[in-house]
Amino acid sequence: MADHLRRRGAAGWGWRGSLAVFVIPAALYMGAAFLLPLLMVAYTSVGGSSFTSAHYAELVSRPLYVTVLWNTLQISAFSTLATVLVAYPIAYHLARQPPRRRALLLILVLLPFWTSILVKSFAFTVLLGQDGAINMILTAVFGEGARVKLLFNRPAVLIGMTHYLVPFAVFSILASLLAQNPELRRAAEIMGAGRWRIFFTLTLPLSLPGVLAGALLSMILSMGMFVTPALLGGRGDLMVSNLVDFHVRETLDWNAASALAICLIVVTGLFAALLSRVRPGQLLGREI
Amino acid sequence: MARRRSSPLSLAAAGAAWLGYAFLALPSLIIIPMSFSNSDELSFPPHSISLYLYDKYFFESNWMAATLESLEVATGTAILSLLLGVGAAYGLSRAEFPAKRLITMFLLSPAFVPAIVLALGLYLYLGVAHLSGTTTGLIISHTLVAVPFVIVTAMAGLRHVDRHLEIAANVMGAGRLLVLRRITLPLLRPTILAAALFAFLISFDEVVISYFIAGVRTQTLPVKMYSAIHWEISPVLAAVSTLLTLLSLGICFVVALVRKDR
Repeated sequence: MADHLRRRGAAGWGWRGSLAVFVIPAALYMGAAFLLPLLMVAYTSVGGSSFTSAHYAELVSRPLYVTVLWNTLQISAFSTLATVLVAYPIAYHLARQPPRRRALLLILVLLPFWTSILVKSFAFTVLLGQDGAINMILTAVFGEGARVKLLFNRPAVLIGMTHYLVPFAVFSILASLLAQNPELRRAAEIMGAGRWRIFFTLTLPLSLPGVLAGALLSMILSMGMFVTPALLGGRGDLMVSNLVDFHVRETLDWNAASALAICLIVVTGLFAALLSRVRPGQLLGREI
Repeated sequence: MARRRSSPLSLAAAGAAWLGYAFLALPSLIIIPMSFSNSDELSFPPHSISLYLYDKYFFESNWMAATLESLEVATGTAILSLLLGVGAAYGLSRAEFPAKRLITMFLLSPAFVPAIVLALGLYLYLGVAHLSGTTTGLIISHTLVAVPFVIVTAMAGLRHVDRHLEIAANVMGAGRLLVLRRITLPLLRPTILAAALFAFLISFDEVVISYFIAGVRTQTLPVKMYSAIHWEISPVLAAVSTLLTLLSLGICFVVALVRKDR
């Protein structure tokens, strides 16, 4: 607050205020290209001018919808759990490195982060397929009988989604590990605490906000996933996004598609609101 | 120090971390060798090394058309989102005005609205505006996804531009546009380059919205890849994927270099 007042004093409100014109083009653009399309989805979801809640009622009454909504929550929760379990050791390891080495190792996290989701999905179809690398190794070692079905099912979706989500969680957890005061650790060491004790009583509890932020971000991202379940999942194991696509492309039922989309945006919005409370700056995972 | 490092906890942690790194690197590790296969059947490891799949990508079928469409859309998106995003970031970080927090949240919100919701909205909206299936429609849509990232990147960059320089120039009589042109923008150049690359890559990789709104003639590379994985799993995908991975790697390096200068 003090900083805020001082800045006002430094150059006067007039000069500072008038710079706000630079925000106007982007605000107008977002109004026209982002807000209006969303309002159209909302309008379509209530059947346009007929204004009915029938399409929302279907979300809870039709078994297909209930199954898909439940699938979506389940898949998101499991992949979030897996993501945190994979991401924590990586973030912990990165936090312990000297800055130069950390920057180098960070490339191993940044590269998959900036790699197209299609490249990853393609790689996993090759890796997990009937004649894929994993099955080749299994059959070479254990014979034909060891062949397992790894593609077009739930585990494939979870593997693909976890791979997509881990970098986001690493950034979030790493930020909270690096923000810890090293003096605390030193103090605990001097007073004779062992490594395990320091980790479980100091490092881990202090990093929990970062873990929570990473988990919330994973939930938000995974609930809206489209490509991974479409390419790696089984035909019967749809997520909300795939059902929206199905309605737009196959049944041309835009009202149902819109009701599903609004449902999705409300749920992810709730998680985003939680996230903004835990860590306001973390909404855009791409910035560390 | 050496004795402390080898404590069981650190060893276990390092082991788990390296397993994690390996998991993350897995797709790139498998795709790059596969792209040098010489047959139309996917095989890992490839039986012999050739550039057959790259040759197919560059000279056969319509892969190149999709790539050119993506290049066009990504370039347009980078330019438009820079104009909107850097401007907005400048206003947001240098001006004080009512409801600033709300407006900031609004401008960043496309980043955490699920892509499928944006895709459906733009599908309905661009249909009404007679822009679905056009390159313009694709640029409009991708820009809306890229702007939040440009804003965040540019705001981070603006925090590193010494405000006293701007104030000093202003005190010495430079108007606000002159300050922007001669002081702020030159100091912001590395950030703008990084933001442009981010916007380009976001557009170049965008698939969900494009899948909904691209037409037969405006099929982008990701849309073509999506259908290729969905319907046939063409081996050319290995070559395309390798090239895309190299592109991401290149952009990562450039951004890392730019950040270092700051």
